[in-house]
Amino acid sequence: MIILFLSSGLLLGWSLGANDAANVFGSAVGSKMVSFRQAAIISSIFVIIGSVVQGAGASDTLGRLGAVNAIGGSFTVALAAAIVVFMMTKFALPVSTTQAIVGAIIGWNLFTGNPTDATTLTNILSTWVSGPVLGAVFAVILYILLKTVKRKSAIHLVRFESYIRTGLIIVGAFGAYSLGANNIANVMGVFVPAFNLHPLDLKLFTLSSQQQLFLLGSLAIAAGIITYSRRVMEQVGNNIMELSSESALVVVLSQALVLFIFSSSGLSAFLRNAGLPAIPMVPVSSTQVMIGSIIGIGLYSGARNINFRILGEIAAGWILTPLIAGILTFFSLFFVKNIFGIHVGSKTGGAVPVELPATSPDPRVSEIMQYLILCLIAAGLITALLYYLLDRKKRIELKKSEEKFWKNMK
Amino acid sequence: MALFTRTTKDLILKIDEFFDNIDLGLLVFREGIKTYLAGDKESFDRHVQKVELLENNADRLQRSIENEMVTHSILPRHRGEVSSMIDLLDEIIDTIKSSITEFSIESPDIPASLHNRCISIMEASVSAGEELIPAARAYFKAPHTVREKLLKVYYFESETDTLIKDTIKFIFHDMNELDLAKKAHLRYIIHHIGNISDNAQKAADMLSTMAIKIMM
Repeated sequence: MIILFLSSGLLLGWSLGANDAANVFGSAVGSKMVSFRQAAIISSIFVIIGSVVQGAGASDTLGRLGAVNAIGGSFTVALAAAIVVFMMTKFALPVSTTQAIVGAIIGWNLFTGNPTDATTLTNILSTWVSGPVLGAVFAVILYILLKTVKRKSAIHLVRFESYIRTGLIIVGAFGAYSLGANNIANVMGVFVPAFNLHPLDLKLFTLSSQQQLFLLGSLAIAAGIITYSRRVMEQVGNNIMELSSESALVVVLSQALVLFIFSSSGLSAFLRNAGLPAIPMVPVSSTQVMIGSIIGIGLYSGARNINFRILGEIAAGWILTPLIAGILTFFSLFFVKNIFGIHVGSKTGGAVPVELPATSPDPRVSEIMQYLILCLIAAGLITALLYYLLDRKKRIELKKSEEKFWKNMK
Repeated sequence: MALFTRTTKDLILKIDEFFDNIDLGLLVFREGIKTYLAGDKESFDRHVQKVELLENNADRLQRSIENEMVTHSILPRHRGEVSSMIDLLDEIIDTIKSSITEFSIESPDIPASLHNRCISIMEASVSAGEELIPAARAYFKAPHTVREKLLKVYYFESETDTLIKDTIKFIFHDMNELDLAKKAHLRYIIHHIGNISDNAQKAADMLSTMAIKIMM
């Protein structure tokens, strides 16, 4: 039963991969600098590393917004958010998973009668505005800088594009790592207290119970990236505005910078010490920052290229996502509680994160999880190897055909 | 990463070599026509062979550049335009080859009174092509300088047109000693020399648009 509850988190992970990976590599794929296959492989690998290595920290803010204190509630909240993200992705609208989760948690608060922490909500909502604005400002500055450097250095176009491509891959890999590190809590955070697994020894390193869950969640994200993110990636890269290679790099870089600013406690402390207002540590929607960056470049270039109709659709998606997620969660909780008789949470009197009582490791669950993880890792490795071999075969065939052509010409 | 660097370096070298081929082709054509008019058959044949070799090499490079751009997904946004530009430049060396081959096969009898005019037309037409090469190279390194470099192409193209018009007028109005067939043959040969500058102008038009696009 407990494994069944986990499925909604995996579905949310899959939706996150299908939708949010576009924020990292969308502009690169849209500008055709990086192929979808390359983007999918790199982002899958780095999302997994980010989730497992650094995924533990980001659930605090969401916990303060509303502490879902029953596994049935966690299941329903994750399921509602996943359905909303999936539906939005189906219409190729790049929505934010954080927005869906925020809406779903508020829906849970309303259903269980728990208050929503106004300060946390205001902090989150303010980043939905300041994130894109900051993204646009960074994008314009970086764009001017890059253009000036290109002009002054008189670098060959082919070499310049090669550097841009390398930059896109490095920045994209870093972005994917951050995506995993920041968003895995949205996917699996609510399940961590309910699972207590035996550590998994992989010879080179050992995975704790939490890391095993995050690995499972990140594999779901990777599956989402590989199977369903192509359409959104192409939408992000092309439909708002036609992106040049340098603007693609600028978009990814400014997005990474904004995410860094909103998640760096060191920078926040530095500003506080200098007598400046501290930056709130709130999870920022990478989707919004990225779209802000694209608009920034578009406005700088004269706003002629921006597709305002698509932009309107995306903005509508931003309003609709939390709203629909909230309503869907509210009604789903009603059904889960009254029809299936599953406990979905109780009023705590305040939005303080509640730890579910830790259980002793269940050997059967641990064993199932271990086999599941090992099978998924093996399947991932085989898929990557197949991808590589197919690519190699295609290149060899092309080379042979060219050699044959010139032989015939002679 | 090493693979990227090697491919990039190879492609840059190939593009440069392609431009060198066109440049050399123009130079050899210029010398070839001069040797033809001077009646040096042996030297002319050597120039014809050189042009053929350069044209074959340019074709091989063109195909290789286009293949590499597609296989390694290089310049994805500009690939189509760069390929078209290389195609237009290749047409210049194709025209050179067909023109010099016509001289070789048809051996047109050009009267001595037309030699200077023919050389002027050839010089202007070849100069249009020669001025195009630095502009095409600049597209890859300093696109903001492309348009100013192209001004000379347009100048030489218009100069070629004027010279051709004057020469044809001279052939048909003032050279009564020639029969109509010979006059028509001369006109045909002269127009072919002029085609080099026409092709250069086509490539210049395209380069001009490409330069604006890449700077935006």
